[in-house]
Parts: sequence; C-alpha cells; structure tokens
Amino acid sequence: MNFDAVESGVYPELIYPPYKSTVKRGPTQAPLRINAAAATTTNLFASPKLILPHDMDMTAQGQGEPLGEKIVVTGRVLDEDGKPVHNSLLEVWQCNSAGRYWHKRDQHDAPLDPNFTGFGKMLTDDDGRYRFVTIKPGPYPWGNHHKAWRPAHIHFSMFGNVYAQRLVTQMYFPSDPLFEYDPIFQSIPDAAARQRLISRFSLEQTVDDKMLGYEFDIVLRGRNATPMSL
Amino acid sequence: MTSKITTSQTIGPFPHEAWRWAVDMTATVDSNAPKIVVKGAIFDGDGVAINDAWVESWMPDSAPLESAQAIPGYRRVPSQDDGGFALQISMPQAAATGKPVAYVTVFARGLTKHQFTAVFLEDDAGLAQSEILGQVPQQRRDTLIAKKQADGAYLWNINMQGVQETVFFDYA
Repeated sequence: MNFDAVESGVYPELIYPPYKSTVKRGPTQAPLRINAAAATTTNLFASPKLILPHDMDMTAQGQGEPLGEKIVVTGRVLDEDGKPVHNSLLEVWQCNSAGRYWHKRDQHDAPLDPNFTGFGKMLTDDDGRYRFVTIKPGPYPWGNHHKAWRPAHIHFSMFGNVYAQRLVTQMYFPSDPLFEYDPIFQSIPDAAARQRLISRFSLEQTVDDKMLGYEFDIVLRGRNATPMSL
Repeated sequence: MTSKITTSQTIGPFPHEAWRWAVDMTATVDSNAPKIVVKGAIFDGDGVAINDAWVESWMPDSAPLESAQAIPGYRRVPSQDDGGFALQISMPQAAATGKPVAYVTVFARGLTKHQFTAVFLEDDAGLAQSEILGQVPQQRRDTLIAKKQADGAYLWNINMQGVQETVFFDYA
C-alpha cells in the first residue's frame, strides 16, 4: 500500500505540555519518512481462533450482569480509498460504568464491578464491520492537573491489513462536556480530526429495549491496497 | 485530496489486562530455527526508565519459521519496572540481509501516537547495503543497531528523546 504523508494537525502533538507526561516522552524529531516494503505489504495473520466466545460481548464475561448502561458499538474500518479493512484484529478496553479500570495501578476511588473486566477483541468482517456489546464507560479523574477528568472513552487498538496501518486511539461519546477541558483530546490540533473520534448515537443500531447503539467508523492510513494485502 | 484518517490517542496507563492475552501467547517461541534475543530498556528524555511502555514486534521473515505459534512472527512485551524488555527472534538462515530483524512499534502513556522503529544486528554483514539504513542519516543509524553482548544476546535501548533519540519512522 501507499501511505500519504499525514496533514499537519491531524495527529496529536507529540509534546503537548498541558498533557504533562508527553514532555519527556514524546520524540523531539519528526518521524523519518522512508520506504520499507515489508512494513507496507505484510502483516501478522490474525486467526479467528484468537477470538474467544465472549470477547465481543463484554457484558457476558462474568457470573452475572454488570452494572451500568448496556450499549452496542459498531462501525466499519476502511482504508483511505474507502475499501474495507476486513478480517483484521481489533482490541478494545475501557473502564467500567463507575470510571474504574480493571488494573492494579488504577487507584480511583470507585468500585470495581466483579462482572465487568472491560476488555474485548474481534475481527472485522468482509465488509470491514466490527460490533461489540459493552457498558457505557464513566468519566474518571487522572491527576494530570486540578480537576482533571477524562471524558468517557473506549480505547481501540487496530492491526489493519498491513503492518504500517497499526493504530491505537480512543472513541468518545457525543456531547461530552469534558472535551474542552481534556488535554489528551485537545492535543489534536485539527478540530475535524478531533470530531472524527466522537461516535454518533444511532437509533438504527439501537436494539429494542435492550441497549442504545453507537456508530464509530475508522479510517486507517493507506491507499492502493493490492489483492494480497486485502 | 483531503485525508479523513482516524487520528491517534495515547494507549494510557491501563491496557495491561486487556493486552495480556497477546503477551502470554507470544512469551514463548516454538520454532526449530536458531533463536536470538534482543533486549534493552526504554528511557524518557531524562534517562528515566519508562515502566509502562509496550514493545510490539513484527518479523515478516521469521513468521514462516513459526507456524506452530498462535501469531507467527509477532511479539508483544510490556516494559518492566526498569524499562526492560526482551524479544526472542527466530532467525532466518540467510546471512547478510541488511534487513531489520524486527519492525518495532512503541506505545506508552504520554506518547500521543505510537512510534514505528526497527532493529538491526551489528554483525549483519549486509548493513552497509541496507535499503532502510541507507535512508537514515549516518549519524543516527547507530540508534537502530543492536550490539552483541558477552552472553550472546543483543542489546538495544530505545530513547524517546536526547542525543541518542531513537530514529522513528513514517512509512511511505
């Protein structure tokens, strides 16, 4: 595949002082643009056997029902030509409805839910579509500054169809009042690029009286996929 | 044409439980090929070890040798308290390849976008003809080359900043 240079402002700033831990961790030099055929033509093989029965229903991993608002999240993963990125591995993880992660280092004074770990994985289908059922995550404080609260989000990790398409990002929910105060969200200079991380409510995807639906489409970098990499 | 790509956000501090399955699945390597270990640590701009980073590697030339693996040619390793990580690599027979032994992706809290890099072995006789290294300014190539240690392992540190800042790539 071919990877066009990304327009200025679309990616977050690597060093963005309001997000304190970027200051010593973000590379100071611009990435070196190179040609490396293996990176743009090959990828790991994600076998369907990697996906476990409840990986796509994060409300069904415990002994009982988790607390909170059950939702379904779905969308399509496409490349820059609009072609589906299919049979591609996608991981998600998030905090629970109270804003607590299943993680030993999360010290937020909010309860864990014994019926909710907050992680799942799946493969996109032939149309590039993914779909998983979860609990709407809560906002949580993160200590970056006084009253630093993250807007509710779900982390996405995508492997694409070629190695260079790898992407980790966060999906947000519509109309979150915390967007303007969140340095992680605001580290992306381009307003349109920020907006593309916000899912949209979908009545069509809403399932009867069971759960509200959200749609989040993803465009990975790359054009001119060959049949081999599709 | 205006690109509508989905942008990146940091992995944050809390992926460990969600990402563990692939760590466990790639911790041991089942192949008949000779193996080497590339090990090192990841440091921030103050030289402080980053203890919540992630190192993934993709090894396209090793993948055919690892058909018994759940994910051939792939590893995922969380950095340890001292920033340390180790990658076990099945070595293809061809010598003097000039190719990286692993394409490496780095993630961390405080890293707003993952970084692509690659690691080469110092005793690869093909380095001078390497297509990739040939695109890297001479004075920075050393940051991509793992050095053989007395125990046979290869040492390769990742520096996010500083005079030894690792070369990170944008693949074209």
